[in-house]
Amino acid sequence: MTKRWQVLPRLSWRNVRRQWRRSLLTGTAMMLGVAALVFSRTIGDGAHEDWIDSGVRQGSGHVAVQDPGFRASRKLEHRISAAQWEAVAGALEAPDVAPYVERMTSRLEVLGLANAPTAAVPVNIVGVDPAAEAEFSQLGVEQRLVEGRYLEPGDRLHAYVGRRLADRLDVALGSRLVLTAQDESGDIAGQLVRVVGIFRTGVPEVDEGLVHVPLATVQRWLGAEGDITTVAILLRSAWDVPRVLRRVRARVEEATDEVAVLGWREAMPELDAAIKLDDFWGYVFNIVLFVIVALAIVNTVLMSVLYRTREFGVLRALGLTKRETATVVFTEGMMLTAIAGLIGLALGYGLVWLLFRNGLDYSGALEGDLTFSGVVLDTVVIPVYRGVQVVMSLGSIVAVGIVASLYPAYRATRIDVAEAMKFEA
Amino acid sequence: MNTQPAVHTEEVWKVFEHDGIAVEAVRGVTMDIQPGEFVVMAGPSGSGKTTLLNLLGGLTRPTRGKVWIDGQDLTEMSERALAKLRLQRVGFVFQAYNLLPVLTALENAEFSLLLRGMAEDERRRKVEELFATIGIAGLEDRRPSKLSGGQQQRVAVARAVVGAPALVLADEPTANLDRASSVALLDVMAELNRELGVTFVFATHDPQLMERAQRLIRLVDGAIESDQRREEPPVA
Repeated sequence: MTKRWQVLPRLSWRNVRRQWRRSLLTGTAMMLGVAALVFSRTIGDGAHEDWIDSGVRQGSGHVAVQDPGFRASRKLEHRISAAQWEAVAGALEAPDVAPYVERMTSRLEVLGLANAPTAAVPVNIVGVDPAAEAEFSQLGVEQRLVEGRYLEPGDRLHAYVGRRLADRLDVALGSRLVLTAQDESGDIAGQLVRVVGIFRTGVPEVDEGLVHVPLATVQRWLGAEGDITTVAILLRSAWDVPRVLRRVRARVEEATDEVAVLGWREAMPELDAAIKLDDFWGYVFNIVLFVIVALAIVNTVLMSVLYRTREFGVLRALGLTKRETATVVFTEGMMLTAIAGLIGLALGYGLVWLLFRNGLDYSGALEGDLTFSGVVLDTVVIPVYRGVQVVMSLGSIVAVGIVASLYPAYRATRIDVAEAMKFEA
Repeated sequence: MNTQPAVHTEEVWKVFEHDGIAVEAVRGVTMDIQPGEFVVMAGPSGSGKTTLLNLLGGLTRPTRGKVWIDGQDLTEMSERALAKLRLQRVGFVFQAYNLLPVLTALENAEFSLLLRGMAEDERRRKVEELFATIGIAGLEDRRPSKLSGGQQQRVAVARAVVGAPALVLADEPTANLDRASSVALLDVMAELNRELGVTFVFATHDPQLMERAQRLIRLVDGAIESDQRREEPPVA
């Protein structure tokens, strides 16, 4: 037996089909809106993932473990002892954390001077584990290596410096320079090193202000044997940061309360702000887009209601209640929304995959490197597809459909049945 | 035997406001219409025929007075109850047919049965029987746009009577039809009145329809000027 409520969607669907030109026009507007939303989300998320990836690799990872005072002071006195580091390592090996960790590296960072016979330049001296760091920061990859090579296990008195620093100090591959910094006791200590490689990132402050030296060398030179200032942890996905952060914090706090476990947002607030700002404008764009789409739906469904005033009068005369009449109109809007939304999603993802699956290259629109806050950004954005995008896109279009269908539905309830019979379309 | 009138009105007034001016469309109409009557309300344009018909069908509420359909007071009813009453007790035939364009002839005719939740087999059987009775068998699957005016109006009549309402209200049902179609349609309605006992109330100024009236109510300026009953039944 056909139930009363089953009649209404049938009427709605036939009306959507009957006014196919109008439906097609509105549906197309909605489809394009959803497709644009999908494009902006996949590319936007891809860009953000790239920003984060570049940022965390060149910075302190998705998760950084440091002494609580280190970020502000950048001094050796705020370092992590071998015992604390063991506690952190234990936390990272826990079964609910280890699967999320891609790699990690330990660093001993100090501010100091790079001295050559011709000049002295302030630099950030980073003692690194060559094997781990090569994979982590990728500072030695082909695109960045200008001359020589990156540090290797077994290196001792070697340094890997930026192109601008080499130019300012007037040093070349094989040249010697002296690094000076405050040691563990607060005295100024110097270390002679030889340049084994020169890199270029495109970020002036990095190319002029960063020196990589083997970790053991820095520890010995500064009297901090076994100590480090930062454990940088790279996760398999930036989306896992909150979960891993929570678990590592809980475990580390059990073992020691003298280290800070920071997410990349805390460790790199500038990058966090940039992504939030970009997200904000993304949302503004989406809202504008959806307001336009909503107006298109309101216009179509409302026009349809006005055009069919007499028909709604007839439905009421035949025994439909106001609510049921509104349901017919509302369902029309929602059907249009659902169909256009699903096609729009398929269209959006299809086009993004078809056109940009190998990345959207916007290097042509730029002069030189794209850098932000000391981070070199890749100019090829690989779109990112996520279930949450689909849910959000569908949720957005359904919300727009609901809002845009409510007013015409309300208008349909306001029709005076007797007056409607006089209406001429 | 049911002696309850199909329609009873008591001092019904309908006053519209137009630009601050009160227009009395219906003025103090009191009347009874018995089940099975074939009533024609006639009068010039603006005499209040359509407004009175709308009042009887619960499409509009009176400014003053009371309207009972099948013993139920429309003036006390909620919107929902009125909708239910229209569905179950009142059928409408409009001048412009007013079939739903997205439905076939059969679907239009069975619409009220569908809303009542009647099983498909029973609906189809009732509608097909009725279509055969009123001479439109074979047109079940056509959309209104594929039917002539006369055929559309027959479908509208089928829609109005298929649910066995207490009352069928028809507003100028022949106004858009040619003479032959009008005669055929009136034959159909007269037969339904005679055979099935359907109560018809027409608003019209079609002389053919007036001639067939069992009871002719003349309205002038919103009030009943005359109310004549004929002894013989309407001519089929």
